[in-house]
Amino acid sequence: MKEGISQRDAFWNSVFDCAKKDRNVVVVAADMGAPSLDRFRRDLSSQFFDVGIAEQQAVALATGLALAGKKVFAYAIAPFITLRCYEHIRLDMAAMDLPVTLVGVGAGFSYEDSGPTHHCVEDLSVMRILPNLQVHNMTDSVMAGAYGAISCGLKHPNYVRLDRQLLPSLYREGHDFSEGVSVLKRGKRAFIVATGNMVHRALDVAKSLSKRFPDIGVIDAYTLPLAEKPLLAALRGAEKVITLEEHTLPGGLGGAVCEILADNGVTVPIRRIGVRFESTYCYKYGGRESILKRYGLSGADIANKIGSFLG
Amino acid sequence: MQTKIERLEKKAQHIRELLLKMCCRAGTGHVTSAFSCTEIMVALYYGGLLRFDPKNPEWAGRDRFILSKGQASVLLYPILADLGFYPVKELDKFNSADGMFGVHLQHDVPGVEITSGSLGHGIGLATGLALAFKMDREWPMVYALLGDAECYEGSVWEAAMFASHHRLSNLVAIIDRNHMGATNFTEHMVELEPLADKWRAFGWDVVSVNGHSFEQLLGALDGLRSRKVAKPRLVIADTVKGKGIPFMCYDPLWHACVPKGEKQKMALDAVLKGEEA
Repeated sequence: MKEGISQRDAFWNSVFDCAKKDRNVVVVAADMGAPSLDRFRRDLSSQFFDVGIAEQQAVALATGLALAGKKVFAYAIAPFITLRCYEHIRLDMAAMDLPVTLVGVGAGFSYEDSGPTHHCVEDLSVMRILPNLQVHNMTDSVMAGAYGAISCGLKHPNYVRLDRQLLPSLYREGHDFSEGVSVLKRGKRAFIVATGNMVHRALDVAKSLSKRFPDIGVIDAYTLPLAEKPLLAALRGAEKVITLEEHTLPGGLGGAVCEILADNGVTVPIRRIGVRFESTYCYKYGGRESILKRYGLSGADIANKIGSFLG
Repeated sequence: MQTKIERLEKKAQHIRELLLKMCCRAGTGHVTSAFSCTEIMVALYYGGLLRFDPKNPEWAGRDRFILSKGQASVLLYPILADLGFYPVKELDKFNSADGMFGVHLQHDVPGVEITSGSLGHGIGLATGLALAFKMDREWPMVYALLGDAECYEGSVWEAAMFASHHRLSNLVAIIDRNHMGATNFTEHMVELEPLADKWRAFGWDVVSVNGHSFEQLLGALDGLRSRKVAKPRLVIADTVKGKGIPFMCYDPLWHACVPKGEKQKMALDAVLKGEEA
């Protein structure tokens, strides 16, 4: 188990182990560090490049390295490596289908003290629509460690989205992550499809509502675009579906679930729960829980919403 | 007997003819942007500078030519056809439903390395290729051709800084300095000058040449494989946008335009006669 280790360190430790055996594994950082990367920088210095605060160059450099056969990771704070570089990702990585893994740290509001420049709550919407590219939104450190190794062997572009917060492990070492969705709690008529840190909240809420609604299932959707067959199989028999994400509602996980259900003729009531900005971004502080409460994403808020939806 | 320079000049004329006919047939293409860098690309592909194999476009030991100004794909496509990467008759299908390519550059055409059309991407990619070859102690050279107005993109300078810091002496960038963007002269938009000094300040080994002179282009681009200077090389090639068709030169309105009707005949006559701008 990877209790006590951050998603970031679990991920980079795993990449380090691959890179020791394969000198084609290269890390490009945009002035970003981590204790686990210090070792990489020291022991595998010929496979580590820091471009400075130049995220576009990080992506372009990574793409060029990949064109020459390298397996490349480009690392920065999540909104910078995605939103700032979006066209480089679209044309260099996605259009040319090159095996570059973007690594973004700071999913959702996990840079809780840093304001909207560092919040990352729109990236799923824009990253999930790119051809060839898969987004992997990390749920815990076991998954992050697994994705470090998986990414070293990928032949396509990839975006690994890491949370800064230390979250308990929901998975066991050796779990097979190839399906992109996992049923973490079996259900019957109602299911919550959640992603990232909100998977933990979904499990808590399902438990808190268990007396009134004993059969709420919880599905972890960690890879986007969502794999249709496993998702539809997991939702078989669903009479109501709830989606839950620490991300803006337009284009996010909820939208992705609705698209698949609509395309497959599944007509069940759906309630999307996520971030809805009123006039501007979040300039509020006081910790992540305080921010989540402001957007109706505290455990109690979510339980109320789901309770009245299922009621 | 023809000298090397005469042979290259004749080839440049032939390629201009192929591309002009191709664009006129399709009614589209960036003719003037391609004509400004015709000598540059002919020097690279026919002047013994680039190593490549048309029978094996994916040959790992090939030099990499990164056409960052993707709007000049209408020049690269006829060159690759002429060299045998694919049949010349493919040019007849330019921008058609059953054709292989359109106005901007795409990576799946044999002999083409990248998709390009949005500017400011190519030189960053080129730094990655050059770095990978240095890491592996392999000998391919990486050549990137940029437009001068492309240098307004900040990503170009991010890449420029990286390349000199890592002493990427296997990287050669060429700027097609035709003094125009899409709608205006560069110095009327935002001054690019002193362009050579800017690149020197970024740590590059800069040479300025007449971009329509094969003697000068070969002088600046030849012998770079074995040079001792541990810096990337930049060649600023001073050119005329639309070179070879006098009435299309010095007029920004011809950007991305193809001559039609009587103008089309005048343009082709100018190319066949080898008229000066």
